Amino acid sequence: MSAEKLHEASVSLVLDLEGVEKSFGANKVLQGVDLSIRAGEVVVLMGANGAGKSTLVKIIAGVHAADKGRIELEGKPFQPSTPAAAIRSGVCIVHQSINDGVAPDLSVAQNLLLDRLCNGETELFFRPGRARKQAAAIAAALELDLDLDRPVHELNLADRQLVSISRALAQNPKLLILDEPTSSLSQREAERLFAIIDRLKESGVAILYISHRMSDIRRLADRIISLRDGTITGTFEKPLNYEAAVHAMLGHAIEVTGQQVAQRGEALFCASDIRLKPTSDPFSLVLHRGEIVVLTGLVGTGKSALAECIFGVAKPAAGSFELDGIAFNPTDPGDAIARGVFMVAKDRANSSIIPGFDIAQNLTLPFLTRFSTAGTVRLAREKQSARAMIDALDVVCQSEQDVLSALSGGNQQKVVIARWLSQPSKLLVLDEPFQGVDIRARGDIGTKLRNTSDQRATLVLTAELDEALEIADRILVMSNHTIVGEHLTADLNMDLLMSQISGATAMAPSEIESLQSTYRN
Amino acid sequence: MLTSITRRMMLGLAAVATTGMGFSAFAADMPKPFDNPGDVKIALVRYLSTGDFFQAYLSGVERQAAALGVDLRIFDSRQDAALQADMVDQAIALGVDGIVVQHGLTESMTEAVQRAVDAGIKVVAFDVNVENDAVPQVEQSDQLLAQLALEQAIKDNGESFTAGYVYVPGIAPLDRRDEKWREFKERYSGINEVAQFGTLDNPIANSVANQASAVLRANPTINVMFAPYDEFAKGVKIAVDEAGVSKDVKIYSADVSSADIQAMREDDSAWVATAATNPAVVGEVSVRALAMLLAGEDPGSNVIVPPTLITRDMLMDLGIENMEQLSAKLPQFAHADVAVTEWMPLPDR
Amino acid sequence: MPESPKAQPRFRDLAIRYGFLVLLLGIVIFFSIMEPAFMSLRSMVFVFQSVSITAILALGVTATLVVDGFDLSIGSVAASSMMAASYSMVIWGFSSVEAVAFCLFLGLAVGLFNGLLVVVARVPDLLATLGTMFLLLGLQLIPTAGRSIAKGMMLPDGSTATGAFDKSFLYLGRHRLWDILPVSVLIMLVLALAIWFFLEFTRWGRVMYAIGSNELASRLAGAPVARYKIAAYMISGVSASIGGILLAARVGRGDVSSGNNLLLDAVAAALIGFAVLGVAKPNAFGTLIGALFVGVLLQGLTMMNAPYYAQDFVKGAVLVVALVFTFSLTRAVRR
Repeated sequence: MSAEKLHEASVSLVLDLEGVEKSFGANKVLQGVDLSIRAGEVVVLMGANGAGKSTLVKIIAGVHAADKGRIELEGKPFQPSTPAAAIRSGVCIVHQSINDGVAPDLSVAQNLLLDRLCNGETELFFRPGRARKQAAAIAAALELDLDLDRPVHELNLADRQLVSISRALAQNPKLLILDEPTSSLSQREAERLFAIIDRLKESGVAILYISHRMSDIRRLADRIISLRDGTITGTFEKPLNYEAAVHAMLGHAIEVTGQQVAQRGEALFCASDIRLKPTSDPFSLVLHRGEIVVLTGLVGTGKSALAECIFGVAKPAAGSFELDGIAFNPTDPGDAIARGVFMVAKDRANSSIIPGFDIAQNLTLPFLTRFSTAGTVRLAREKQSARAMIDALDVVCQSEQDVLSALSGGNQQKVVIARWLSQPSKLLVLDEPFQGVDIRARGDIGTKLRNTSDQRATLVLTAELDEALEIADRILVMSNHTIVGEHLTADLNMDLLMSQISGATAMAPSEIESLQSTYRN
Repeated sequence: MLTSITRRMMLGLAAVATTGMGFSAFAADMPKPFDNPGDVKIALVRYLSTGDFFQAYLSGVERQAAALGVDLRIFDSRQDAALQADMVDQAIALGVDGIVVQHGLTESMTEAVQRAVDAGIKVVAFDVNVENDAVPQVEQSDQLLAQLALEQAIKDNGESFTAGYVYVPGIAPLDRRDEKWREFKERYSGINEVAQFGTLDNPIANSVANQASAVLRANPTINVMFAPYDEFAKGVKIAVDEAGVSKDVKIYSADVSSADIQAMREDDSAWVATAATNPAVVGEVSVRALAMLLAGEDPGSNVIVPPTLITRDMLMDLGIENMEQLSAKLPQFAHADVAVTEWMPLPDR
Repeated sequence: MPESPKAQPRFRDLAIRYGFLVLLLGIVIFFSIMEPAFMSLRSMVFVFQSVSITAILALGVTATLVVDGFDLSIGSVAASSMMAASYSMVIWGFSSVEAVAFCLFLGLAVGLFNGLLVVVARVPDLLATLGTMFLLLGLQLIPTAGRSIAKGMMLPDGSTATGAFDKSFLYLGRHRLWDILPVSVLIMLVLALAIWFFLEFTRWGRVMYAIGSNELASRLAGAPVARYKIAAYMISGVSASIGGILLAARVGRGDVSSGNNLLLDAVAAALIGFAVLGVAKPNAFGTLIGALFVGVLLQGLTMMNAPYYAQDFVKGAVLVVALVFTFSLTRAVRR
């Protein structure tokens, strides 16, 4: 083979994966993934939570090693043992969580040089003058218009992310991986990012772009790859068929199962003219006894903000709640719980679980008054209740005395759900209840929710459409901190739903109003 | 009986003598610069200030300064060695005529004091060695303190007894008292030291009590406890009381305070004697030594304030309940005939 | 792989659960052999008495540790309470009941102050209680101008104090029930039992542990986190003031002291308590055993004429062993 041909090949194909597999224990996360990215190309990777996106990225970035398969970078075998090795080889990642990418107390200049400093590629002594010159050169090359001496913690999120991206670019990467980079950016800031990506494309950098946002995807993608359950379910070249890509990402859920709508009772909870932010559009919603309503929308569109307002963690900027026809303004979660409004918070590790407590203690924590006499906890009664809930949700454990940190993620989540199902409630809000939960546990939880839903109103918040479709009687769509659409699962217009989620279309408030009034009657 | 009577007579005599002297001093003509005492400025530069001892020392300094009619400035460095040195410089800048340095570290004070001496300021030092021939050293004699207490122990218990000893090495005054203890053990072979303990964990009395109670159980034959620091003695007394052996053990110590007097006066108190220098007197002597220097007289390079033996019997017989009564009823405690000249006015009592 | 994979972890579990208690027993036996006077009822009572004040303070620290806080001010609260008891009786002529009530109120007030600093002003716990510590160190000296307080003392204004320690107050530190059990030991045992029961068996204790383990999750489970945290500091403050009362009653005067050694010993006892029974969390029973452990060692060593510096070394060694035990052995099993 001539040298020229070799060169030719390496220019065209930056990253090439074939048959990559990865398992964590019995859990097969990647089951033979093929993927190639050419120089100067933006490949969008779409996939629901748990599809295996982050595992794939971590393998490319040297965090995990693949169990099987071949990975080549510019035609040479590529097996980075550490993230640092991957960076040296020219693979850089900008993480979704912006603060992972910057050192807030250092200046912009120091951040730009952070990788060099950490790699020990500099001389023994740090020479501020020289370093500043290097940083200025980097900033100029990237057209980074920021004061290099400002500490990063003084910058806003978008500028921080710019620093984080610039930091990656300072390494002259061959492959740049961007993980949901626009999730905390405004439209204008995102546009600035897209301009940078365009420039990088021209200079021949291969880009792997991970996102759900249809607006980003439409703007950037040269190719779309859908990942589902660890396999590539679709590769779409230009002209791009977005609908097909979304369908490939969500898979079976698109075939609406025609779920039987539960018998709906009277209105239990009303929210009127709620503004989640002073600048966001107001919305209203009504939840009825016996129905399961799913509020969906992309990450960061205000779903959790609404949940927090309902549960007394935060206050809405405007508007009012009513529970059972009486004004409902909880001062704190304790107050909400006392009124019969429960919430399964998202991110269980941080906001739900008491890791050192056993299952029984975790289950009864909000309801200890009901399990104690004169302040003393009735252990026998607690144990009995715990056993019942463990059976009801099929929690896999040895006994109710298992420490929670010893359980698997899915079982921990079942315990958290069981906690809030163990006592009757009027309104149960579940924020991302299926996060980090495998298919089986998800099914168990969904069934249990459905079976117990007749005496309360249930509001499930999820960014994952397939999860929504599995359990919802009714789907509300949130975008930009307001409700932009409403659908009955029974007669779902998938295309409209998708475009509402991606922020392209919103129903006029009057439309929603009329839709809601038809439900009410 | 006989000794007690003689002692009381002696006390009476001493009392008369001191009072007489106090009045006579006023009559004398004052040497320069004390003919115009309002213009004389002196400074007290302190290293240690919290606690009964230092309070009493300060009151002595203030009283003697008032008796002389001089202007006293107080600098308190609160155990900050560097600050104390700076304060000497501040005093120099203030234009004082004399400085009393109260405690401190040799390392930090030597140079500062030299600067003061070079500026023509007279300096005396209390309980700190500033390595300067021009600076008289005022001290309470720790050796004498220990000696008085131990002599009383020999007197009460004979030349052989079983002893427990409370000591923490590395503390200068305790080390000096320890020298005497070793000397006595050599001189009297009948002294059998079966246990040595001690701690400065505060509250000291409480911590020492815990140790002493263990020692007393391990060594039930102990009949003398030598605790040459009143906090130690207080702790030993608590342990002795708790063990219910206050009739079998006698405690000898050094230093005194109102609280100590109360403890010694308790029924069946095992704390039978302590030797002490009155810190107020040390304060007075410090100022008098400085006054002599200012008047061009020589107080001597070592001005030693002699200690007084205080026994439980004395306290009970004279009905002494606190430091003020101790001073009033034990004149040798209230006044030391040290650094006293014809012209020197003494504080009222 | 070990030959008997089942026997191995079981032995390890046992070692973790009972290791520290066995070690304590071993030390007691060792000292009894070396020094026969060590092994008697009276002797044991003395060990209890020597640790009673430390243990009471340590129980208070335990309460703050449970909510993932820390109280550095307990030593100075105890010292201040000792001064307050002395001052109120000697100078104001309080009766013993009034003096005790005054000290307990002081402890509660300091605890409330600490709690408000931590919860409302959001000062990190170590810094907040450090500030309080210095505040109290100075404050306790102001009324007497740095003098110790005793009957018949001279006041800064030149007059002589007329009050005295009430006989019944001194009983708290000196009396023995049935001629054997000191009141201070009884108070320590009662307090330990009360705090143990409170933390382990009441819903309030349960919520405190929950807050210490995951504050956000507890808040979202409806717990009024701020109130519980303040309560923990108040428990700590009142425990420390009880310690100070007993100190005053034992010593019989108000000694000027920083109480820093009390703080260090109490914190050590509470931390050693993590390792007792291998629970790896603050707990009242462990704290009591931790205090006894240190007490036994110190009493035994003193009996054997060990020099004072050996004692600090031994304290440090016990603490390090306990911490290693807590953070490596127990964690390894949990995982």
